[in-house]
Amino acid sequence: MTTTEVLRKKSRQRKITIQVLLVIISIIAIWGAVSSAQVNLAALGITNGFGFLDRSTGWDYSFSLVERSINDPYSKTLVIGFQNTIFVGFISIFFATIFGFIIGTGRDSSHPGVKAAATVFVQTFRNIPLILQGVFLYSVLIHFPGPRQSMSFADSVFLSNRGLMLPGLNVSPSVAVALILAIASVAVLLVWRKVPLLRGLIIWIAAAISMSVIVAFVMRPEGEPLLSIPSLKGLRFNGGITVSIELVAMITAITLYGSAYIAEVVRGGLKQVPSGLIEAGQAVGLTQGQIWHRIKMPMSLRSIIPPLGNQWIFIMKATTIGIAIGFSDMFYIVSNSITQSGQTLELIFLLMAAFLTVNFSISIFTNWLNNRLKLKAH
Amino acid sequence: MKKNTTLAIAVGLAGAALAPTASFAQSATVQQIMDRGTMLCSGHNGSYFGFVEVNDKNEWKGLDIDLCRAMTTAILGDPDKAQIVPLSWAQRFPALQSGDVDIIIKATGWTMGRDTELGLQFSLPYFFGGTQFMVHGDLGISDSSGLEGGTVCVEAGTTIERISANYLQTAGVEHTMVSYESAAELRAAYLANRCDAFAGWGPSLAVLRATELDNPDAHVILNDQLSSEPIAAAMRQGDEGFVDMANWTIAALLIAEEEGVTSANVEEMAATPPNPKVARLLGVEPGMGERLGIRDTWAREMIAAVGNFGEIYDRNLGSESPYNLERGLNNLWSHGGVLYAPILD
Amino acid sequence: MAHTQKLSPNRFHAYMASFSKRAFGTPSAAVLSIVIFGALGYWTWLAVDWAIFRAVWSAENVAHCTEEAGACWSVIDARHRLILFGLYPYEEHWRSTFACLSIIATVIISCFPATWTAKRLTSLWVAGFAAYYLLMEGSLLGLAQVTTDGWGGLSLTLFLFASVVLLGMPMGLGLALMRRSEMPVVRSFAVIVIDTIRSLPLLTTLFTAAVVVPILLPSWLEGDKIWRVIIAFSLFFGCYQAEVFRGGFQAIPKGQFEAGKALGIGYWKIMARIILPQVFRHALPSTINMVVVTFKETAIVIIIGFFDVLASAKAAFGTGEWAPHYMEVYVFVGAIYWTFIFSLGQYGEYLKGRMALSTH
Repeated sequence: MTTTEVLRKKSRQRKITIQVLLVIISIIAIWGAVSSAQVNLAALGITNGFGFLDRSTGWDYSFSLVERSINDPYSKTLVIGFQNTIFVGFISIFFATIFGFIIGTGRDSSHPGVKAAATVFVQTFRNIPLILQGVFLYSVLIHFPGPRQSMSFADSVFLSNRGLMLPGLNVSPSVAVALILAIASVAVLLVWRKVPLLRGLIIWIAAAISMSVIVAFVMRPEGEPLLSIPSLKGLRFNGGITVSIELVAMITAITLYGSAYIAEVVRGGLKQVPSGLIEAGQAVGLTQGQIWHRIKMPMSLRSIIPPLGNQWIFIMKATTIGIAIGFSDMFYIVSNSITQSGQTLELIFLLMAAFLTVNFSISIFTNWLNNRLKLKAH
Repeated sequence: MKKNTTLAIAVGLAGAALAPTASFAQSATVQQIMDRGTMLCSGHNGSYFGFVEVNDKNEWKGLDIDLCRAMTTAILGDPDKAQIVPLSWAQRFPALQSGDVDIIIKATGWTMGRDTELGLQFSLPYFFGGTQFMVHGDLGISDSSGLEGGTVCVEAGTTIERISANYLQTAGVEHTMVSYESAAELRAAYLANRCDAFAGWGPSLAVLRATELDNPDAHVILNDQLSSEPIAAAMRQGDEGFVDMANWTIAALLIAEEEGVTSANVEEMAATPPNPKVARLLGVEPGMGERLGIRDTWAREMIAAVGNFGEIYDRNLGSESPYNLERGLNNLWSHGGVLYAPILD
Repeated sequence: MAHTQKLSPNRFHAYMASFSKRAFGTPSAAVLSIVIFGALGYWTWLAVDWAIFRAVWSAENVAHCTEEAGACWSVIDARHRLILFGLYPYEEHWRSTFACLSIIATVIISCFPATWTAKRLTSLWVAGFAAYYLLMEGSLLGLAQVTTDGWGGLSLTLFLFASVVLLGMPMGLGLALMRRSEMPVVRSFAVIVIDTIRSLPLLTTLFTAAVVVPILLPSWLEGDKIWRVIIAFSLFFGCYQAEVFRGGFQAIPKGQFEAGKALGIGYWKIMARIILPQVFRHALPSTINMVVVTFKETAIVIIIGFFDVLASAKAAFGTGEWAPHYMEVYVFVGAIYWTFIFSLGQYGEYLKGRMALSTH
């Protein structure tokens, strides 16, 4: 054997040793954790397992999309927490993406006023911790007038420190959720079919309105109008949709923070569009808007989508601030369940599994989206 | 003082020699506390007025804090060796289970779930108070039926959360419930009128109303008495010796009040004990410490440091505090209350 | 150095001309300018009027804090020590002050390019951290001992920040190296750790460290809650920083490593002498960004029961007397965060620009 071969063999052996050691250490660490968990839990007299999921909780919380009661088992309560996280996450992602694109475009604008306004927005909301913005906004919102003195717009939209009361379709919450999902899937379908942005948007809005009208017409209770309008009765509003003030604070805070970040992503993408292309567009007489949606957007989307996906995951994770303002998101429900039931390990496991599932799904979705757009750009 | 300790040790040794069959289990937690040199008690993430609060000098005070200091004095001989760990309501049990604190003395109700599933054990109750609702006076309601359609705020992870939900469901009162992680957030939300009602523990609602609200008359505590909870110190299961320690700390404070031993006259009483019970309590007669595995003079040092139960109450909740709460149920049985100590023999 | 150069009169005029052309060149642009600048100006005026002209400044004048008055800074005057130092013993606040200053000085000094070698930066941060710890804890300097439970406010926030950066940096480097390893087991281990931690909310990771880890560890390994949380936070930092380093590695031609190997230089020596210095340089702007994000994210620890600057801010208006002035307290704390994050962020941007120039 030559020296090189000996050295090579040695190095291979060392590599195998290192890897085997790493595996052994990991196994020992996991085994140690499991066994000391058993010892510790036995010493504390805590019962293991997921049996507690069938027990009723006995406590209530601020928000759910479906009917809830204190007789619900832990399993249902946890599912509601998960729904709430997804719900707030997707709504915030939706608004933050729209505002982010608008503000990011503003940051890129040649108009000094627009640029200044966008910059002030980004620098304000990006440089303060989200949780501070959340609790601050919540404090401001709960100091709004009470329900009896609430601000009203056209006697059908009311804002008070209890929440935002909106006119809503006269259908049950589960039908409404199904409708929202259907409308969202139309959007996915449009992207999948590679419909151009502006036309897609028009088709989507038209579809959303007509679907809502049809659903409300078919599903509403006998003899009721299509829309239910909120009206003050006793201590609260009846009818319409009540968006609790906790939800308003959550969505607003996360949207503002998220859109400041997305704006920076968009600006970064727009910056990478070669100036020659823009000048070429100007030369053939395209308007600013046309340049934006024919040249800048298609060119920059490729570099925008991957970091945008990261921002979406970030927004999803940001919903955990709910606990600081009394909004019952997944983390809040898990944390409260731990105190009330003591099943720490099981509940943390469920919490992590939920977040990993959602965030990996978002990654898969953005990868898919990225591939679609990549093909289109070529 | 040194002489006393030497004497106590000598007497203790003699006692041990005289009674060789008696062996008292030393508590593992007490041993840990002694090794560590500090005792870890639960604080709050903010102030829970009267019980666990932070004063202008940024120091912890309150009834629960004083009980912790009393127990620390009993074990370590110095109230300042108590270390207060700030915890939210929801975190107190996980923190206890994980060993971040040795004991929870934090207005904690004794419930079956906590006693069994959570793997805790409780001391003698040292306080009684029930869940009640406080509402804004301008609502003009006097009992919970007026809360129909209203919003009730409560602290997350407490018994109050379950009791009030259960009560309102039984009474068939439609309501929205919002729960917060800390007392400060809940208070801010109630004051801002986010909630129509503040579901809380009677004594702390009274404290809040008496001092923390600009105008006490603008707030009404409803007549509904949802529960009467025994409040006790919570400990990890499996260390009976430590529960004995907590029980006899509370008992000694109550006996001291019964017998009129105060922080002012404790040395005098120890010098000339009026009766054998006081002599035993103050460690003049040996045996008191050995049974718990600590010094004979623990109760004397403890009373010198924090006073008897009555003094602790008056200082934090009663006449000497800004809250000026009646003792009511929380008086000695001989004064019309429900507090009593086990027998010191 | 175009950034710092003062505009000469000619360039100033040129700039103004271009500005007015862009702002008022067309009627629609002019209308837009008037609306936006009008609104910005009006809001600025409202803010300044509230915060300065109509404000009440001292704690004694709290009686003047009425509905009509502006900001009631009395609450800051009365409670600033609580906000800055939390539950730290009142007489020992000077220690807390110096401890905070040592961390701030460390951050500022590390902005100077003269400190940018691995050795200098490491010793600077270790020294700054040690100075902080010795002052706050006290027993080693012969001062009264204050354990970590007594730390709070801004000083606790800075402590968390400094220890996370200090511990997280080597973790990030380790994970980045593992991720680049030729050994499949080592590589997939790093990938699993990095992807999992990055997909979980920071709060979940910290909560697990605070509440769940003690159950999984034998009691002699548990340690203090604050250290468990710091280690978990560092792991979070490390996982993100590993990706930053990965970007730095990708910028370096593979040939360099192979050339080193061909010369018979060992793996660690190639790394330490050739590759890593370049990686650090490339990764610097993103690293600063990570440091800024870390400072911002420390605010989340309020939820797992630490008395950080946000928690002490809440405590500051938690009494009946100060309850109406929550706005002032939040603005004060927000301003602290904003100043720190904005200036570091701007510095990062400046550096990015400078490095982009120097590579051309």
